[in-house]
Amino acid sequence: MSAVVEQPSPRPTDPVTARSSFGSLLRSELHRFRSRRFIQVVLMLAVVGWIVVTGIALTQYGNPGADEIARAEQQIDADVAMSEQYREQCLAETGEAGTGGPPPGTSAEEFCGPEQTREDYELAWYLDTAPFDFASSGFDGALTFAGIGAVVAALVGATWIGAEWSSRSLVALLFWVPRRMQVIAAKAVVLVAAAALIGVVAQAGWLAMSGILRAFVGLDADLPDGFWSDLLQTQARGVLLTVIAALLAFGLTNLVRNTGAALGIAFVYLVIGENLVRAIRPLWQQWLLSSNALGLVQQGGYTITTYGDQPDASGMVETTEYYLGHLQAGVFLAAVTVVVVAVGTVLFAKRDLH
Amino acid sequence: MPAVQLTAVSKSYRRRGRPPQRALDNLDLLVESGGVHGFLGPNGSGKTTTIRVLLGLVSADAGGGEIRLLDQPVPSGLPDVIGSVGALVETPLFFPGFSGRLNLQLLAEAAGVSKARVEECLELVDLRSRADDRFKGYSLGMKQRLGIAAALLKAPRLLILDEPSNGLDPAGIRDVRELIRRLGRDGHTTVLLSSHLLAEIQQVCDSVSILARGRCVASGPVDEVLASRGTGDVLVQIADPAAAAGVLQGAGFSVSPADGALMVHSVATPSDITRVLAGSGLYLEELRRVTPDLESAFLAITGDQPHDGPTAPGTAA
Repeated sequence: MSAVVEQPSPRPTDPVTARSSFGSLLRSELHRFRSRRFIQVVLMLAVVGWIVVTGIALTQYGNPGADEIARAEQQIDADVAMSEQYREQCLAETGEAGTGGPPPGTSAEEFCGPEQTREDYELAWYLDTAPFDFASSGFDGALTFAGIGAVVAALVGATWIGAEWSSRSLVALLFWVPRRMQVIAAKAVVLVAAAALIGVVAQAGWLAMSGILRAFVGLDADLPDGFWSDLLQTQARGVLLTVIAALLAFGLTNLVRNTGAALGIAFVYLVIGENLVRAIRPLWQQWLLSSNALGLVQQGGYTITTYGDQPDASGMVETTEYYLGHLQAGVFLAAVTVVVVAVGTVLFAKRDLH
Repeated sequence: MPAVQLTAVSKSYRRRGRPPQRALDNLDLLVESGGVHGFLGPNGSGKTTTIRVLLGLVSADAGGGEIRLLDQPVPSGLPDVIGSVGALVETPLFFPGFSGRLNLQLLAEAAGVSKARVEECLELVDLRSRADDRFKGYSLGMKQRLGIAAALLKAPRLLILDEPSNGLDPAGIRDVRELIRRLGRDGHTTVLLSSHLLAEIQQVCDSVSILARGRCVASGPVDEVLASRGTGDVLVQIADPAAAAGVLQGAGFSVSPADGALMVHSVATPSDITRVLAGSGLYLEELRRVTPDLESAFLAITGDQPHDGPTAPGTAA
């Protein structure tokens, strides 16, 4: 360290005015976010994963010839007709005396089921190598990519604050910015922006993938009316789920001050806790995070169906349905996130730091 | 204006299943602006807790007590003065996966300090050539130097250094001490140096405060603190020690042999020795008052200091 003695003065050559503001703190946090190796690795893996999945998907779909499609359509028409024939027969038989009609309280229509139409049958079921049907896959794909985005965002959120706790650099930062709430707020703001970006990129990744699949192995058919509007709304809710997942992981990690512990808690909750609830208290599923995540993103919400333990006298098992709409699920997830983040933040603001 | 002022500050740590541990016990501490102020104390005496309280990392016990940093109350006024306070507390805290330069740049950005200042500080601690290496690859000494560079980034008016020589090699220790001396002399910076290296404090500091059991038991200029612990012993070199001992004992002095010389104890006025010996035709070769080093003073102050008898800061114990 001989240079120390060679220096004329440890005073700066220019006047130094150290004055932190929320803006400068945000810039610093953004810089740190961009510089994190974990983020760079996640980005690289995401690109590689997208390419691999797109490549595999291209091999799973095909371009059937017109005659093959015509044969499949004929088969669908035949199956629809057969189904209708069975249904009419069922309705007729349940009306006859002594044939054993529907259980008390159940109408013949309910007993025999609804009428089947062409829309209930997918062409892909009747083709050896089906073409990619964006109209039927668009929403499932958006949901899947929202799930992937949420998992990635949760990892980013947990490691974002967890790395600070493990290196104790969060404490060092307080030598510069002693307002603890401001420090946490800056980190949360950067995380929300990053998570939203992750969600948007994930959904854009799905649109890009489906665009490629449609171009090369897609079904040459018009999309239904209102498809894009519904799909974009689903994708927007997927982005919201990504942000919520990131903040929830951030809050939990800030609470326990350790990335490994937070991820362990999340794993135990999702894998053991939720499955235990489904098995032991199925009626509580409406309070599970995964159910609400599905209710938030899935087109049309999520209906939880639970079945009674024993069949009744007529042999029917009682079913209970609970509908989780987008708004209800979103409010529930947001409330849980706010509570977890707030408790962690208040403890951070109040506790002694060593 | 004092750089640091604590008045009747207490801090207790709660412990599960055990009574609270009192880390600071009505601590009074005054560090005037300018120069290098040493902060001494045995392990567990409350040095680091004091620094953490000053920086707002740890809250003092409620009720009574006043903390001021650069004339601003802590913690309420801390945001107003933190831009003028640099600190290195125990081990440097940085992101292990980032380079030294990036770690400093992030701090500089958060505080609105220019990138040029980052390079100046890296140069100052001789880390520019390794500035792009990852922090986790640094040796302990390099980490410490980066911590010092971070503390200097803001060109602070008050620089708080907690054991800055930890992990440094002898040359590094010498350079850090030189750096601290220069900062203390620049007329702009007050350095509060916490160290368990007594020689370091004695070499570098203008004034010192000694903590024991959460209280300040001695404070003031280093010379005064040392003098206050002086025994009044005087070493006498003379050609005929046996004859001189007889003369001095005859005059009422307490004398003992000391490696061919004489140690005269509890001497109020050393010139009395000269006068008595000269009166007997014995002439001195050397007469020197024995002053204790800081280690002796420190052990004497902290080792036998009654718990309820602290000395008010600003006066020698």
